[in-house]
Amino acid sequence: MSIIEVKDLCFTYGIKTPFEKKAVDSLNLSINEGEIIGLIGHTGSGKSTFVQMLNGLIRPTSGQVFLNGEDIWAKPKEIRKIRFKVGMVFQYPEYQLFDETVYDDIAFGPKNMGLSGEKIDATVKKAAKFSGLSEKLLKKSPFDLSGGEKRRAAIAGVIAMDPDVLVLDEPTAGLDPKGKSLLLSQINSYHRERNNTVIIVSHSMEDIAQIADRVLVMNKGRLEMFDTPKKIFAQAEKLESMGLRVPQITKIMISLKEKGYDVSDGVLTVEQAFCEIVSLLKKEGKI
Amino acid sequence: MSFISASGVKFAYEDSDKLALKGITLKVNKGEFVALLGHNGCGKSTMAKTLNALLTPSEGVIYVDGMDTSDEEVTYEIRRNVGLVLQNPDNQLVASIIEEDVAFGPENLGVEPAEIRRRVDNALKAVGMYEYRTHAPHKLSGGQKQRVAIAGILAMEPSCIVFDEPTAMLDPNGREEVMRTIKTLKEKGITIVLITHYMEEAVLADRVIVMDEGEILIQGEPEKVFSQVNLLKKHALDVPQATELAYKLIGAGLRFSKMPLNTDECVHLLEEALG
Amino acid sequence: MIRDVALGQYMPGKGIVHKADPRLKILVLIAFIVLIFCSFNFAALGVVTAAVAVVIALSDIPLKYYFKSLKVIIFIVVITSVINMFYGTGEPIFRFWILKITMSGIYRAIFVTVRIILLILVSSCLTFTTSPTDLTDAIERLMKPLKFFHVKVHEIAMMMTIALRFVPTLLEETDKIMSAQKARGADMESGGLIKKVRALTPILIPLFVSAFRRAYELAMAMECRCYQGGDGRTRMKSLHLQKHDFFCILFTAAILAGVVLCDVFIAAAI
Repeated sequence: MSIIEVKDLCFTYGIKTPFEKKAVDSLNLSINEGEIIGLIGHTGSGKSTFVQMLNGLIRPTSGQVFLNGEDIWAKPKEIRKIRFKVGMVFQYPEYQLFDETVYDDIAFGPKNMGLSGEKIDATVKKAAKFSGLSEKLLKKSPFDLSGGEKRRAAIAGVIAMDPDVLVLDEPTAGLDPKGKSLLLSQINSYHRERNNTVIIVSHSMEDIAQIADRVLVMNKGRLEMFDTPKKIFAQAEKLESMGLRVPQITKIMISLKEKGYDVSDGVLTVEQAFCEIVSLLKKEGKI
Repeated sequence: MSFISASGVKFAYEDSDKLALKGITLKVNKGEFVALLGHNGCGKSTMAKTLNALLTPSEGVIYVDGMDTSDEEVTYEIRRNVGLVLQNPDNQLVASIIEEDVAFGPENLGVEPAEIRRRVDNALKAVGMYEYRTHAPHKLSGGQKQRVAIAGILAMEPSCIVFDEPTAMLDPNGREEVMRTIKTLKEKGITIVLITHYMEEAVLADRVIVMDEGEILIQGEPEKVFSQVNLLKKHALDVPQATELAYKLIGAGLRFSKMPLNTDECVHLLEEALG
Repeated sequence: MIRDVALGQYMPGKGIVHKADPRLKILVLIAFIVLIFCSFNFAALGVVTAAVAVVIALSDIPLKYYFKSLKVIIFIVVITSVINMFYGTGEPIFRFWILKITMSGIYRAIFVTVRIILLILVSSCLTFTTSPTDLTDAIERLMKPLKFFHVKVHEIAMMMTIALRFVPTLLEETDKIMSAQKARGADMESGGLIKKVRALTPILIPLFVSAFRRAYELAMAMECRCYQGGDGRTRMKSLHLQKHDFFCILFTAAILAGVVLCDVFIAAAI
């Protein structure tokens, strides 16, 4: 079942000014419930504008966004409700923390939803658990946390609204490798447990290759490709022409294939590449 | 003699009783390109700040070009000589016109106006931002801003530049722009200390130093350091995928003439092995 | 969106007004302001208007930008001129209820309108043709004599420079934080005044935190670039009066003389 459907979606900035620019151009796509979507595209490809249209932060110039089959702008006065259903984590979300304690900050969204005290408490604690924040941390001021903890607290603030769709814009930007893999695995386990739809915008092809069920490629405001990571990253040349890269390991295997070796071109992990090369070596009796 | 020489450097921040640096000894030669790796909080940024006398060691001593960094008489001479480029390009630019910003350093040093003009033009050309000299910084991309920040340091004509995660906040294109700039600076003979999380950047260095918990964990040529895949993984550090693949294949009984660090090397070595 | 608001309206150009010494431009602006308010009859006002027209023609800036800057204040102009119309003395030429319009009232209205318009035009001309950095630079240099009275001239100028640099950055940041809090259901539109003010907390606190963080990092970056205050500092751009600057001085002096002559020999209209 598709949870999000987008029809002829367009957005133009600064209409009737010298700065008029088409940011999103006739987008048509549908996203299934429970999928993890990786959204890639070079800076200025329109990905941020696109995801902000999914939760009604930006109103499309033309076209529609359907959430569970309903046009989100059918009742413009109730657009706030859409924002609870499509949770949006912005880039560097730790810069939006503001409340006295981490607990209160996470509770900001649920409070805005008008939940009762008990429900807020339950949802905050659950969100904190998903993000790997201990009870002790909840009582601290968000400004006393470490960089990685702040990031996770900010993400918990969105998870706490229990959205059907979670959008994360560059969730791992600026983290060190340790923080990065921790966060990715947390997103993964959150997705497994909640089984909701997750959209991750990222420049890190390695992250996308690792986590996404399908990859959406945007270029100059248009949808270029939308397929499984295996099929997308196999087209290294096409991606590079759009200023994008493929994971190093994929590139190595594509080069080998081009040189005539019997390996596949959509290899996404070192483990996979290792297995393929070992079986090749075994076939030739080299090991 | 080495350009930077630190011995037994210890440092603790005022609000903490934990040592951020626990006795670091290291040397950087003139013209060398050194990459400093380690996860957040391992002390590498602190180390960077001790190199241009923003921080002075609580124990131990650092000499830069023969000058002791704890000698207040030479503080500004050291800062001129060892430029520091920080992570967030936005917060390093002072003026709202690019050439004026680049002029900020030499102006502080009391350089003659005509000479400042020459330095500003040269610095902007070196980073490829000369055409933008009259633009405003907030209209530039992250990579462009960071290049302007580098030009601002270059205009002081330092012999060494320390980069503290200069690409952490940039997109892949911005990262490439900055790395290309760093490479041309190295070719001009400027000593480079690059602090980074990105392994593909670290492999470009002459020498890699890995820090952990305020200490040096391992150092040497990139090939040597990255072949320690297990050690690095244990300390939650990444290795280039090319190296990791080779490492696994070696484990399975394959032999390589060297450790690959990038795509091309890896493909080449695999070709050799596969025949 | 906030960032669409035009800020720092400077437009690069190569005309004589662009090239003129910014210090001189500030002084000329002050002279013009004085002249605008010291024109008491139509002849004097005519001289100033003609002078402003000449400056605008020389400024190398498309007229539509001047119209744009006038558009912002059109409301104020209309209101003040209408009010002024009723404040005249003498024989009324039109009467309605307790309101009366006199000839002197109409004159007053015309003077007020023309003065405000001229004022906006000359000051826009300065901001259009002078970069903010040149402006702060000129202010710093013009204020130099104040050092004698222990005014921290350099520090004030440095603060202005940094403020100019960070206004666009902080506006963009405000935009981002607002979107982020809206995404968490922050309601900034509905409710009374108190509710609206309270709704600002989630925006203002992160904004302040970020401004302080930026300030801290900027201070460090400035230290890295050997900043030690104003002493011993040189400037890349040194300002020397040039030939065209003397034309500016002559021009201003001529206008000054013209207005004074008109004021002295022709009776005041208001």
